[in-house]
Amino acid sequence: MLKAENLVPHRRLVVVYGVVIFLTVILLGRFFLLQIYRYEKYKLKAEVNRIRAVTINAPRGLIVDRYGDRLVDNYPTFVITAIPGEIGSKEQLFKKVSSCTGIDSMDLAANYHKYYRGRFIPARLAKDLSFAQISILEEHKLDLAGLQYEQFPERIYPSPIRGSHFLGYVKEVDRNIRDRLGEKTHYELGDLIGWQGLEKVYEDQLRGHKGISYLEVDALGRIVGRVNGEKEIPPTPGRDLMVTIDATLQGLLEDELRNYRGVALVSEPRTGEILAYVSAPDYPPDLFTGATSVEEWNKILTDSDRPLLDRISSGLYPPGSTFKIVTLLALLENRLVDPDWTVECTGGYILGDREFRCWKEGGHGTVNLREALIQSCNVYYYQVVQKLSFDQWADLCSEFGFGKPVGIDLPSERAGLIPTPDYMNSRYGRWGWSRGYMLNLAIGQGDIVVTPLQMANFINIIATAGKAKRLHFSKSMTVDYVKTPVLRATTWRKVNDLLEGVVYDQHGTGKAADPRIKGVVIAGKTGTAENPHGEPHAWFVGYGKKGDSLTSVVILIENGGHGGAVAAPIARKIFAYLYGPGKQLAAQVTQ
Amino acid sequence: MILTLVKKISEIQYWILIVVLAMTGIGMVSLYSISVHQEITFISNSFLKQLFFLIPALVSLFLVLFIPRHVIHKYSYVLYFMAVVGIMLPYFGNTVAGTHRWLDIGPFGFQPSEYAKWIMVIALARYLSDRTLEMGHLSSLIIPCIIMIIPAVIVLKQPDLGTALIMMTPLLPMLYWVGARPYHLFLLTAPIFSVLTAFHMISFTAWTIIMLVIIYMGKPRLVMGVVTYFGNIFLGLLAPVIWNHLETYQRNRILTLFNPELDPLGAAYQIIQSQTAIGSGGFWGKGWGQGTQTHLKFLPVQESDFVLSVLGEEFGFIMIAILLIGFAWLVLKMVRLAYTSKDRFSGLVLIGIASIFMSHIFVNTAMTVGLIPVKGLPLPFVSYGGSFLLSCYIMIGLVLNFGINTPD
Repeated sequence: MLKAENLVPHRRLVVVYGVVIFLTVILLGRFFLLQIYRYEKYKLKAEVNRIRAVTINAPRGLIVDRYGDRLVDNYPTFVITAIPGEIGSKEQLFKKVSSCTGIDSMDLAANYHKYYRGRFIPARLAKDLSFAQISILEEHKLDLAGLQYEQFPERIYPSPIRGSHFLGYVKEVDRNIRDRLGEKTHYELGDLIGWQGLEKVYEDQLRGHKGISYLEVDALGRIVGRVNGEKEIPPTPGRDLMVTIDATLQGLLEDELRNYRGVALVSEPRTGEILAYVSAPDYPPDLFTGATSVEEWNKILTDSDRPLLDRISSGLYPPGSTFKIVTLLALLENRLVDPDWTVECTGGYILGDREFRCWKEGGHGTVNLREALIQSCNVYYYQVVQKLSFDQWADLCSEFGFGKPVGIDLPSERAGLIPTPDYMNSRYGRWGWSRGYMLNLAIGQGDIVVTPLQMANFINIIATAGKAKRLHFSKSMTVDYVKTPVLRATTWRKVNDLLEGVVYDQHGTGKAADPRIKGVVIAGKTGTAENPHGEPHAWFVGYGKKGDSLTSVVILIENGGHGGAVAAPIARKIFAYLYGPGKQLAAQVTQ
Repeated sequence: MILTLVKKISEIQYWILIVVLAMTGIGMVSLYSISVHQEITFISNSFLKQLFFLIPALVSLFLVLFIPRHVIHKYSYVLYFMAVVGIMLPYFGNTVAGTHRWLDIGPFGFQPSEYAKWIMVIALARYLSDRTLEMGHLSSLIIPCIIMIIPAVIVLKQPDLGTALIMMTPLLPMLYWVGARPYHLFLLTAPIFSVLTAFHMISFTAWTIIMLVIIYMGKPRLVMGVVTYFGNIFLGLLAPVIWNHLETYQRNRILTLFNPELDPLGAAYQIIQSQTAIGSGGFWGKGWGQGTQTHLKFLPVQESDFVLSVLGEEFGFIMIAILLIGFAWLVLKMVRLAYTSKDRFSGLVLIGIASIFMSHIFVNTAMTVGLIPVKGLPLPFVSYGGSFLLSCYIMIGLVLNFGINTPD
């Protein structure tokens, strides 16, 4: 096997030996040069002068609304740090700092341990120090060897609006976060990182890049001077983010929903821009910056109204009668119903051994297609939905984006649920449900749940006859069209006609949404969604147009009662602002 | 069976094992120094980890030691094939920090290219020992080159030129050992030097003169000599032209190939820190745990790539000299074993592994003292890192196995 003989001339051994010895001698010579010949030089350099790399924090980018008003800004604070290897007695230092600044020395010690990374790396002792406190420290500098301070830009919210659910917040990087970010991250302990909302999604844009300057310090940590020959890296501030929000409208709606649990979402269907994004109740946007007291924290965390929940993207609700639009579209597109065909509504409908109720006790009397939508008659829809197959209905829902995330530029979004025959079989068993279940789905009840965001996406598709753009916040992003089912032009026209009827017909359920402004046309649909938590949820989805302007609204008030009575009036206020004198006034003020 | 094992153990070069264990011990001492001064939560974290890694490393060493040599010989091409598949695997996994280098298997973070290094050596040794090759012919060098280039090119795309070059280093010594003409080895390496020196006028001029002398001494046929000479010069003249026509991002891509871990603070800064640490150590060092410079932590990988800075500062020139002489002894011992080995396969494996160790030692040390640009390469046995320690011990297992001078 290994029979090839090893015949190596002695010369080769000598050559290889020579190479190995030569390389080793080179290395040893180099060490000799550094450690013995130039020992004094390096000793001096190490003992007297130490180069210290000081990071210069870069401010995060601002977030401004569509008119340039600042929603999120920075303000300068100071942090103080200590270099463990250069301080004498920790206890004495903390006591001294405490007497200069008034910060509890226990807190200083706790922070010191929290941020400790190594003997010669600054560990943070305290943050949010004022200039006055720093001045006092500077006076006592000689007693405070190893103590440093640097500027640290903190988030501040100058605008009267809250917008906490889309702005999100930043968090300080602690050990847990750092471990999760992985090895090669540029984040250090104490840095800020976007943790929720737009702050998180646009982290790369908003985050600046820290600069580095090299300082020469003596053995006591006092700065001797700058290091020559080392390249300084100036900090690069983060880039500003302009969002599509109209701060005036946002503020108006936040006030409007102050006493409710619910949402108001205003957007432009043609561009996908979100003008207002209100989920109530909300929380102050500076909740996470550390300025909040523990009591306030606990109050928000344990609040049964769940202010931390973003109801627009993550709240799941039965859509109620607003979902009759989907059934209507399917019927019109497939020409399954004659507009003049009528149904006699007596307040209920019996299928098999079950009675399905209409919301109006005495019934609507004789209704045709138009009257049934305008007055939101359930009985009519109980009958016509039977012309559709379950799959047909579920497919159309899914084509309109229900049951999956809309794809907005926020970190999290829920998918909701559109029941399909497969879903029903696995949930209730093959024989545990009947075709009659579809009657519930036709009026947006049953297992179906949607997010208000999906409703906005849906109404935008209808308002633009299938040419809506994806909902988004960032003013500078390129936006794609939403995927929509291809329907006949007459179908789109007919549905929009009927939705206008909901607002303008004398029996229309959405009359309260009309701002009565010349030239403005409103269309929409109300919903009153039964739910197990008490009073029904009140919905209004619709849009208004005037000339080239087109704006859609989605209003939901949890347990608010009738959509026409509670949600539609809020829609009216939005349209009144957008198309009334208020908007022009606001625009003038900003200019 | 057991008798043969006992016999085998009695015959190994136990001094090699002792020196290697001593070096691992020195590495541990510096790790302990680094970790013990990190107070609080980190106490001896990496120290304990390294101690834990030593167990599988020693087990693997003895496993490799007891595999009969003819079995290794028989399956060397199968191993080679597996190694090639192995280094392609990370392309299908998740990227770690933007590069495809690590496979997540168990606690080790298995790095296939680490093991490919010595498997390539075994495969090449097999090829060179199988044939009654006419090593005098230039054409005989083609297949050995291909054997080494295939894995290197795969690793090159990961992207890491340094590892690819290190993988290639055993090629020249092994070819030389088996009798290739030095002139032919010169022909293989000349184009690389032509391109590299092309960016520096004086170097390039010097190179053209050296080339002329070597070609003259190599005594090729006139036409071949002229073609070789002017071909290389042409290549060298072409390189800067092509370079200047590249876009900035393309140049950066090539530069990061040379040095993927290019530090944002600037590599020069690291070197200054490292040199200050070593230089201030003096002859006797500052003492265990007293190295202020290394504890400054400006060196991002002091427990792996810059471990020599820690040792140099805290234990001084005396420790460095002991280490380097120890390493030299180790490599020379391997070469000696290769020389006295009875069969050609064993000799070649030993030479190949010796060159892997020598390249690691030289590149790491030269980088620490600023002789060559920063390149993330650990020091065998001393640096922290489980995967690399395991691979080094397997190679020592091979050395001990192939160093036994009785027939299998």
